[in-house]
Amino acid sequence: MTFRQFAFNNVFRNKRLYAAYFLSSLFTVMVFFTFAIFAFHPSFQNSDMNKNVMFGLTVAGGIIYVFSFFFVLYSMSAFLQSRKKEFGLLMIQGMSTQQIRLMVFMENMVIGLFATISGILLGLVFAKLILLLAENVLIFEESLHFYWPLSAVLITFVSFILLFLFISLFVSFILRTRKLVDLIKGDKKPKDEPKASMLLSILAVLLLLGGYGTALYVKGMSVIVAMVPVIVVVIIGTYLLFSQLNVFIIRRLKRNESLFWRNTNMILFSDLAFRMKDNARSFFMVAIISTVAFSAIGALYGTHSYLTKAIVQANPFTYSYHPYDQTENIQKNVQYAKNTIAQNGIDAKQLDMTEMYLPFADKPDGILVLNAKDYNKAAKLLGKKQLDLQAGEAVIAKQSIANLNQNDHADKWMQQSITLTDGKTVKPSRQVEADAYPNVDSYMIVAEETYKKLPKPLKVKHHFVWIASEKNKPEQLRKAGELLQEHYEPGAFFSTDFVLYEIEKGYGPILFIGLFIGIVFFVSAGSFLYFRLFTDLAEDKTKFQAIAKMGLTVPEMKKIVNRQTALLFFAPMAVALIHGAIALTSLSRMFSYNLVRESAMVLTSFLVIQIIYYLIVRFFYVKQIKEVIE
Amino acid sequence: MLEVKRVGKVYEGKVAYRALTDIDLSIEDGEFVAIMGPSGSGKTTLLNMVATIDEPTTGEITIGGQNPHRLKKNELAKFRRRELGFVFQDFNLLHTLTVEENIVLPLTLDGKNVKEMKEKARTVAEKLGIAGIMGKRTFEISGGQAQRAAVARAIIHHPKLLLADEPTGNLDSKSSKDVMELLAALNKNDKMTTLLVTHEAQAASYADRVVFIRDGKLYSEIYRGDSQKGFFQQIIDTLSLLGGNDHDFSSVRL
Repeated sequence: MTFRQFAFNNVFRNKRLYAAYFLSSLFTVMVFFTFAIFAFHPSFQNSDMNKNVMFGLTVAGGIIYVFSFFFVLYSMSAFLQSRKKEFGLLMIQGMSTQQIRLMVFMENMVIGLFATISGILLGLVFAKLILLLAENVLIFEESLHFYWPLSAVLITFVSFILLFLFISLFVSFILRTRKLVDLIKGDKKPKDEPKASMLLSILAVLLLLGGYGTALYVKGMSVIVAMVPVIVVVIIGTYLLFSQLNVFIIRRLKRNESLFWRNTNMILFSDLAFRMKDNARSFFMVAIISTVAFSAIGALYGTHSYLTKAIVQANPFTYSYHPYDQTENIQKNVQYAKNTIAQNGIDAKQLDMTEMYLPFADKPDGILVLNAKDYNKAAKLLGKKQLDLQAGEAVIAKQSIANLNQNDHADKWMQQSITLTDGKTVKPSRQVEADAYPNVDSYMIVAEETYKKLPKPLKVKHHFVWIASEKNKPEQLRKAGELLQEHYEPGAFFSTDFVLYEIEKGYGPILFIGLFIGIVFFVSAGSFLYFRLFTDLAEDKTKFQAIAKMGLTVPEMKKIVNRQTALLFFAPMAVALIHGAIALTSLSRMFSYNLVRESAMVLTSFLVIQIIYYLIVRFFYVKQIKEVIE
Repeated sequence: MLEVKRVGKVYEGKVAYRALTDIDLSIEDGEFVAIMGPSGSGKTTLLNMVATIDEPTTGEITIGGQNPHRLKKNELAKFRRRELGFVFQDFNLLHTLTVEENIVLPLTLDGKNVKEMKEKARTVAEKLGIAGIMGKRTFEISGGQAQRAAVARAIIHHPKLLLADEPTGNLDSKSSKDVMELLAALNKNDKMTTLLVTHEAQAASYADRVVFIRDGKLYSEIYRGDSQKGFFQQIIDTLSLLGGNDHDFSSVRL
């Protein structure tokens, strides 16, 4: 047996010990590779997709790579920690520090090589699924067919071999051989408890409150300015929260003997105290990673719904033609649209929404006045609420999208009156929500009889709209829309379906990348917890075995394990949820757009996934421990 | 061969704890010495310092005229794999390796060629009666076999000094006897200098000399006469004088 054979045998004959580390490495490779397959997809490479998206893909790839690095490093060092005693033994046999480093280096390279290869193979299978999913969920003009991803394979292989090489060198270099006696006693020695200082605990609270406060206080574009400082402050605050408050609370609980000495509490708390340092670090990591995932997904989803909703709100009609040229050509132009719509087999009702602009105080363009009859026709076709105006009544149609408009005149116009041709005056009686006919500014709707008696307008504009019935196929609507939108001068014709489609198409890849990264981060957070838990499994087994001999029932064991696991899963999750909620609130203040529904949806789905994850992990953990105590 | 001069050990901590005070001990070439003492008397601490696992706070230890604690890290590693052999209570065989691989491990670390290693492993295994289990993994063999494999590992490189920390602690009485006879034979036939730490009077009675430690200080030492049985009785008598707690010494495995 040469030294090299020894190192290899050590890995191959001890598969179970290495399995966790191997699987986590494999997982990272797989994630990166799947992403690379997507990024190097021919339909992306060849399409005239804009530079920003390609740049986004590169940055995202970089983020995943950096994250992989830390993830592998973390699993590696956790793995080495658990092998202290083995190293101690080898040193007694006369292994030198260099030899231990060489051994760790070789092991790492073996594992790294296999993880890279199997990660790529598994990634190929996984990629097919992801591509199918992406194709169905997102709108891509070119279908995302499965291809032979040679460049993705090469990039992944080279990147990860380099990554493992670097980590192996790094780890074998920092692998400090402490005193032999410490190594041999190994894990019997309790890890030091981090010191809790009152000052730092207060600082933690202050930092978090300060960060939250600023995030919630700023509005509009200053959100962007405040973002980086707030993130830094909150990250530091979170770290202190877990490393200080954790210690503080557990110490308090331990001091309270009536609580600490009750039933199974003693086992639970003493265990928490014993693992405090490890827990603090993993809680922090998991909380931050989950926050990134929530915020990324929440922000993308929020922006998406903000964009699409705003467009649908501003353009409830299927088609809308607002010609600049209001002269005699208008009939000809409208006829063209009408014909095109009919030729495409679309069943749509045409309306002429005549916009009359009356001179009005401090508004040179005048105020828009609409006939209630026209408005109600549109409302009826759109399935919106019709207005019920008294004879001679005028109302101000308040615009919900006009909320964005700082100079809304709605309130001022309530004070104004109009002199009709018969000498009577009419004054708006109330404000109504009128979403069947959106306008950038609030406008006036008057009953039909009054409309006829309005004074000479500044100008009259014809606005033709088409409202298609439900039975039309979206592709037809889109196709006709595209034809018409290209036929007329830019901005005159608007096809809601076509514009939405174009937005989805441009936004699709970004949304995909965001979702992908978010999911990667979230799954990684879960894996962190999984590793955290299963590094302690062997220790827990012996512990519960010992306690079981003194008479610990299975339900009692379950109770302890449940609480321990629940704390591990939900303490960082709770912090991440609060962080995420604050981040999304801040985002919605930047847009001045309500994202409560979107945020709630994103955060709730993550919570649900986390609960499922918790239940699964707990089930296996309990099962493993039950095996040894029964 | 081994010189322990005024060695003391203090464990730093919240309360400093003095484990050993001014220990003097010298072992001649080819001598077989057992160290006995109650729990907490410091006997394992002493052994660990001789084994270079732990460092003395004061005093000096020399093995074959060399002070291993003054060696640089790499030289210390070489010193361990060439000059020392170690047998533990819980065997400490690497479960990833076969018995044979475990035995040749010190040579492997020293980069010897495979043929030479095979040859040496075969010789030592035959001597210890474990030639039949060389291909087995550590979990497939009995405790007695495991400890014999550990002894084989400890002596394959002909160390100057063989250190054994409670080698019979995890064995049944038959295996204990086998292992002790093995150590005694190695000492007698191969002139293997051996330092043994043990609880058990029976095991200690195989030595040429027994050194008693109590509360970190040398208490007394007795030399073996002609009869092992008489020596055993002498040890028991000294132990009862030594006091400590009676249950520290198992009188069952006699």
